[in-house]
Amino acid sequence: MIHEVPIFHVDGAILAWAIVFVICLAVALLVGFVASLSAYGLGGPKMFVRILTGGLRDLIQVSPRRIGAIATLTFKEALRRKAFLIGLLFLVLFMFGGWFLSGTDLDKPAKPYVAFVMTAMSFLLILMSLLISCWGLPADIKDRSLHTVVTKPVRRSEIVIGRMLGYSTVLTIILVLTSLLGYAWIRRQVPDAAQNQLIARVPVYGQISFVDRNGEPARSGVNVGDIWEYRSFIEGGTKARAFWVFENLNVDTLRRAGNLRLEQSFEAFRTYKGKVDEEIRYSLWLLNPEKDLRVLVDRYPVREFTTDVSDAVVEIPAELPSSDSDGGTVNVFDDLMPNGKLVVEVACVDEQQYLGTAQNDLFVRMPDRTFLGAYAKASIGLWLMLVLIVMIGTTASCFVKGPVATLLTATAIFVGYVFKGQLNEMLLQLQSKGQILGGGTLESVYRIFTRMNQTTPLPENAGTDLIKSLDQGGFGMLRVINLIMPDLTYFNTTQYPANGFDVPFANVLLPSILITLGYFLPLVILGYFSLQLRELEHK
Amino acid sequence: MSESVIEVRNLSKVYRDFWGRPKVRALNSLSLDVKKGEIFGLLGPNGSGKTTTLKLLLGLLFPTEGQVRILGRPAEDVEKNERIGYLPEESYLYRFLNADETLDFYGRLFKMSSAERRQRRDDLIKLVKLEHARKRQLKEYSKGMTRRIGLAQALINDPELVLLDEPTSGLDPLGTRDMKDMILELRDRGKTVVMCSHLLADVQDVCDRIAILFRGELKVLGSVQELLEAKDETQIMTSHLSEEAKREVEEVLKKHGATVKSVSHPTATLEDLFLRTVAESESRPGRRFEPGERPSTENA
Ligand SMILES: Nc1ncnc2c1ncn2[C@@H]1O[C@H](COP(=O)(O)OP(=O)(O)O)[C@@H](O)[C@H]1O
Ligand SMILES: [Mg+2]
Repeated sequence: MIHEVPIFHVDGAILAWAIVFVICLAVALLVGFVASLSAYGLGGPKMFVRILTGGLRDLIQVSPRRIGAIATLTFKEALRRKAFLIGLLFLVLFMFGGWFLSGTDLDKPAKPYVAFVMTAMSFLLILMSLLISCWGLPADIKDRSLHTVVTKPVRRSEIVIGRMLGYSTVLTIILVLTSLLGYAWIRRQVPDAAQNQLIARVPVYGQISFVDRNGEPARSGVNVGDIWEYRSFIEGGTKARAFWVFENLNVDTLRRAGNLRLEQSFEAFRTYKGKVDEEIRYSLWLLNPEKDLRVLVDRYPVREFTTDVSDAVVEIPAELPSSDSDGGTVNVFDDLMPNGKLVVEVACVDEQQYLGTAQNDLFVRMPDRTFLGAYAKASIGLWLMLVLIVMIGTTASCFVKGPVATLLTATAIFVGYVFKGQLNEMLLQLQSKGQILGGGTLESVYRIFTRMNQTTPLPENAGTDLIKSLDQGGFGMLRVINLIMPDLTYFNTTQYPANGFDVPFANVLLPSILITLGYFLPLVILGYFSLQLRELEHK
Repeated sequence: MSESVIEVRNLSKVYRDFWGRPKVRALNSLSLDVKKGEIFGLLGPNGSGKTTTLKLLLGLLFPTEGQVRILGRPAEDVEKNERIGYLPEESYLYRFLNADETLDFYGRLFKMSSAERRQRRDDLIKLVKLEHARKRQLKEYSKGMTRRIGLAQALINDPELVLLDEPTSGLDPLGTRDMKDMILELRDRGKTVVMCSHLLADVQDVCDRIAILFRGELKVLGSVQELLEAKDETQIMTSHLSEEAKREVEEVLKKHGATVKSVSHPTATLEDLFLRTVAESESRPGRRFEPGERPSTENA
């Protein structure tokens, strides 16, 4: 199953970016202005304006030639400091990885190979991007080689951009090499029988709705007692149904392919009634409400534990026998998909048994793309993340030394990659309910020490009031962090090729591209002013 | 020799520690001008603020007080660097580059076509006599070789104003001679040179004007000629004189009421001046000598 990423709305994202950018800028300007006043008194504002206009000029009038020179220098530096050795490490890892992975007999044998290659690659390259980008500039300042550079007509913005570009180039080359190596390795190591799993399925997901056992619309199916509420169950032999509505299907593409393919991952729930050794079946109809058409496609067994991937596929020919019993046929593309809209109805055939369904349990499978393509797109996702890390690392290294910059950047990655989802959820909870179960940091600590249940209200006194108001400050901080930190969940593309899916552009690659671009300007501005406003002496 | 290339007014620099507390007052209220086309020497013992002064001129450090104008622009202006060359105290270059790559890299930071860059690179490598080592990485260079490539790097843009921090340190006598000749040649080509050094012979040989710094304070400022000239004494230098000729010269001098104090071969006297300045400053801190005035001889 694919771990879902939040839906990405381009307009909203750009607007949100602009708002956060403007707010950050305003705060920075205010802080700068106050700092100039306190440092230089009445001469401060004049100084402030001079630095600002100078900064604006330095950021606009950057020269590609000088950026190129610094990028080339950075590139050479990384190469001569033997950054490429990481590639060797990768090779060794492959040799050992192959050793461990061979002989596993999992139900999807191709998956561990792909997942292994992509995970190893991301891990090594993220580590490497972190290390090379955070140590270069501080070393340059410490050795004072930057002194010689800044006494040439180089703007410090060009140094920041040139460094970012240079490191990105190094990483791009290493990424291309390791991906090629990884691809060759996958092709060689995946057993012949599993090679056909190296595909890139292109799913189109629909919207699910339910009808209960009496034929009345329902919000969901039946709960059979699963703790996991992902699937909802429909009862067999009744009027209970699940419907999927797929919109905006490209009918021409499907017509060219000659048939309509659906793929399902339903789950059967067996009660003690009925026959234990019999397969549970579901039936599937295609509907066209406008023409009042309802065509039975067929009945299929649910084989959720099968190892044969083709069991999950429902192949629907272009012509189906019409249900009017006059021997006529219905054309799937002409009659059942008006304006690219397809309605699918699913019922459980067997009485007193249940069929578990979730929205993503049924999708239209568009013609497959090549695995190589999906693999390449996943690598591009990784590449975008590396570029983002390089940008953050370079900027951090403009104002702190190597170790601190590494720590800062690693924190940003951690928050963006691991913690961002939780943070978002928590803040949403806070927004909707006005509080978080168990409270903020201090309140939680208080509860731990007093062994108080999460749901028990706090006693009302000055101490707990203080705790609560301090926690509010903490939440405010978290909100700011949540706004500023990049959401790296979009960049995690490994799962797609590993599970045999294509990497979707609109919801995965596009957000990654926009996020990376969105951070470029603020980071360059931050890096520029950090370099511009400090003496390049090693402290 | 009238237009000022560098104007320094009341320049002070206090180094601060990480917490912003004052640590060292490296420069105290320095004022001086450097005129177009001259070779200006900044002298002083170690730690007297010479390097600090140069870094302030280049905008590498920010002044605590005072103003700097260099080529008519403020120190932090980037574009002035198009016309400036700087040789840092220890050639702070990229040790993983070779000589060719180094010059090419710095050349690319200026508006130069690649043909121009190559031409300039080859000329400079020849000028600093590094033809034999142009493909070796700088980390293999000796101190003297590093100085040479450092100078080449400073001249890559054919600058109007060259700032050299201890240009002869680490050079052998031959290298020192070469460096001095190159500096003189720069002046002949109309460039302005500011160099700082604690090697007095170097300064005496090439500088038109000097300033002596001691613990961040300007002690002496003036032309080398004027400062070293003893106004109440006259030195006559001739080719070798016979004993008889000497006696006759003495006769003539006696007739004019002058006495011969010594008859000897000329020696370097800048060293004297330097040592006297330091000694005087140590015993009477805060004193500054007016142009033309010299520290008294008694203290030496
Ligand atoms: N980065 C620095 N931090 C603190 N003190 C410094 C720094 N650089 C120089 N100093 C101090 O400033 C004084 C002048 O140094 P400098 O200008 O390098 O002298 P010079 O070049 O004449 O030998 C010295 O006392 C030195 O210790
Ligand atoms: Mg010095």
